[in-house]
Formats: sequence, structure tokens, C-alpha cells
Amino acid sequence: MTSSFLELTVDKFRFRFPADLFYSEAGVWVRFEGRRARVGLSDFTQQRNGDVAFAEPKEPGTAVPAGDEVAIVETIKVNLSIPSPITGKVVEINSELLNAPELINQDPYGKGWMAVLEVEDEEAARRDLKTASDYLAIAKAQAEAEVLR
Amino acid sequence: MPNLPRKKVGLISCSGEEMPEGTVTRRAVRKVLETLHPDDTVTLCLPLFLAGGEGERAFARYYPTIAIDGCDKRCAALATQKYSAKPAASIVVTEIAKECGCKGMGSARRLNAEGLRLTDEVAGKIVDETNRLLRKKPRDVQRGVGGGKP
Amino acid sequence: MKRKIPVVPCSGIGKSLGAAAREAAYILAEDLRPDKTKVVPLSLLVMGDEDARGEVAGGEAVAIDGCKLECAAKGLACSGASKVHKVAVFDVVRRHRGLKPEGVCDLNEDGLKLARATADEAAKIIDAPGGEGSHA
Repeated sequence: MTSSFLELTVDKFRFRFPADLFYSEAGVWVRFEGRRARVGLSDFTQQRNGDVAFAEPKEPGTAVPAGDEVAIVETIKVNLSIPSPITGKVVEINSELLNAPELINQDPYGKGWMAVLEVEDEEAARRDLKTASDYLAIAKAQAEAEVLR
Repeated sequence: MPNLPRKKVGLISCSGEEMPEGTVTRRAVRKVLETLHPDDTVTLCLPLFLAGGEGERAFARYYPTIAIDGCDKRCAALATQKYSAKPAASIVVTEIAKECGCKGMGSARRLNAEGLRLTDEVAGKIVDETNRLLRKKPRDVQRGVGGGKP
Repeated sequence: MKRKIPVVPCSGIGKSLGAAAREAAYILAEDLRPDKTKVVPLSLLVMGDEDARGEVAGGEAVAIDGCKLECAAKGLACSGASKVHKVAVFDVVRRHRGLKPEGVCDLNEDGLKLARATADEAAKIIDAPGGEGSHA
């Protein structure tokens, strides 16, 4: 587990981004684990969309191109289709989320992980993702735009 | 020391459930946040503040806050001072009710017309204090109904 | 006079779930079980108000929280209640899929339905055999 975080504070809201993860613009984090990649919602994404009531990742065995839906997340506010940050095949999903979807809000980078994908081309996948500092800039712009309306 | 963007004022209300004045504080704060002063204010959730909410307590340390209480028990003002920093301003609804001659404002669950009138008065006071803290002229903010956030 | 069971809502002002918790407390204490329950403000409890603490001390209480942060339950746990029944609006939402509560001062229709469903669940807890509220 990482020990280094980047932090963003907007008004009373504080968002954290582990420095060693990768991120899609849509706010999905990626942790590469050999030929596999674990994914979940960033702290910014989960705070922005509210308390998660239901989280349904695609079933293991599902092939998911980058940008296609890898999970559905239903919060108190909205229903979200979560785009996969990478191209791969779902090999494992977090079964804890069935009874405790709030893990996504409470521990988005740890117990709130959503799915593990087998990655076809890790090099290509990394190229399309953002580093933590790049993603922080994206999140900052979005957060400030929302606060200012 | 966190990176501090534009100065805003934190509004923290008591929301006392057993008296209509508590409901007035809550409605007045939301009115200021959503309609009257949306760009310069943030609400701080008192229950979360009391339970140890880091974001709420940190905000109140670095930004000015206005405590809006229903009665002279001043739960919001005292909690802010105890767990963070003394509020820059403190408003008590029972005092404003006396000033504007408001009586019989309905129930905590449902305010009547008088209660809504008092809500507007309290919201106006919050706006005045916010302007004072941000050194803004009164005419910079338009009072009344209309506009605001979805 | 028999003690009324204190009902403590979180009344969180930032989310509609807090508003639903508050409304659920009112529905319970004013409509469903007015003889058995009364609303006690969380902030008075946590700030050590003697009257509020006196209502809670040594007996059962119900915490109605909007979300999993459980501010009301945490506050009640430190306030001398012998047993705290926890009702989470968030969990009720999961049992009524599709409801999208909105509004803080004025709940929308889904929010009011959610508040009512929450109050109903709390009423069942109040009525449970063996508890303080199980008398007729």
C-alpha cells in the first residue's frame, strides 16, 4: 500500500491521490500488478458523486475495451456508467461491495477497489493514463468549476 | 498549512430539532448558500463537526465562520470554538425574533408565514455579516428570491 | 409518567439524507409513536446540555443517521444511553432502490418517501418485544 499522497483542498473538501497510481480522465484509478490491473474510483470521483448505494462491476470473463463500461455505480445522487481506463478482461471483482458499497466512499484506494483486469498491452495502457499530478490538475479544475458553478 | 484559495465564509447552524428557531437557522443558511451569497459561502455540517469531521474543522481553523444558533444555548458557536476556532460572528435567532417582533413561527417541522419571514431576516443578517467579513459593500449582493444553484 | 425513548437525528445540512433523517425523526415522534418517543437534538447532547443528557441517560435511544458517518450514533454512544438502536437512512435507500432524494430544506417526493420508510423501520424497533417501547 502506498505511503505517499498528493492532496487537493477546495473549500472544506479534501481530495487525496496516491502518487504511485495511474488515473483516467474520468476519475478511475489503476494499480498495475504484473500483467493485471486493479481499478477503482478516485477520491475525487467518489466525493463528487455522493454515497454509493450499489456497485456492480462487470462479471469475470468480460472483455472490456478502454472507454467501455466496466461497472455501474448507483449513488444517492446519480447513476454512473464507469468507463474502463484500460483494455482488458475482468478476472476478479470485489464481492465485498455487494453488501458494503460504502467501501468505495470510505476507502476508495484500498477496500473499495472494484475490479481486476487482465491487461492486453500494459505499455499502451500506461500511455493513455495520467500520473497523479496530471490527474490532480484535472480534478482541481473540475472541482473549482463546480464550486464556482 | 494547506493551499488556501479564494476567501470564503463558513456558515455553521445549530439546526436544533426541538424548536422552530432551529429550523429557521437551517433554512436561513441554505438560503444564503443557494441564493443570496452562493459564491462566497460554504456550509459546515454541525453533526459532522461534532463527530470529528476533518474537513469541517480544518476549514473553520483557516477561514472566518459565522455561527447561527436558534437559542442562547449557542451550540453552533460553542462547538466551533471548542473544536476549531472562535467564530468571527455569532447570530442568535431568538434575539432577531425579538428585534423584528416575530412571534409564533409555527413548528420545528413546518414553519408558518411568520417563521419564513424570520428566516428572511436571519438570512439578511448572515449576508450582512458575510459582507463585513469579506469587506464587501451591501449592494454587491442582491437579496430576495430567485436565481441560485440547482 | 413513562419515559419516552429519545430519537436523535443527525440533521446533516449538507446532504438530503440528513434532511430525510430529520424528517423521519419528526414522523416517528409526532405521527407514528408520539406516546413513546421524543426528538432530542444531537448538538445539545454532544455539548453536554444537562436536560438533554438527562433524557438519554440510562435508557434506550434511537439514532437516525443520514449516512455511514453515523454522527448521531457516535454522539449518542458518548451520552450515557444504555442501548443505542441505529437506523441509517442510507441502508433504507438500499432497500428502496430507485429513490433519488433531493433537497435539504424541502425534500422532494422521493425524499419524503424515504423519510417515511425510515420512520416505519424505526417504529418497528421501538415496538420490538422486550424493549422500553413494547408496552401498548
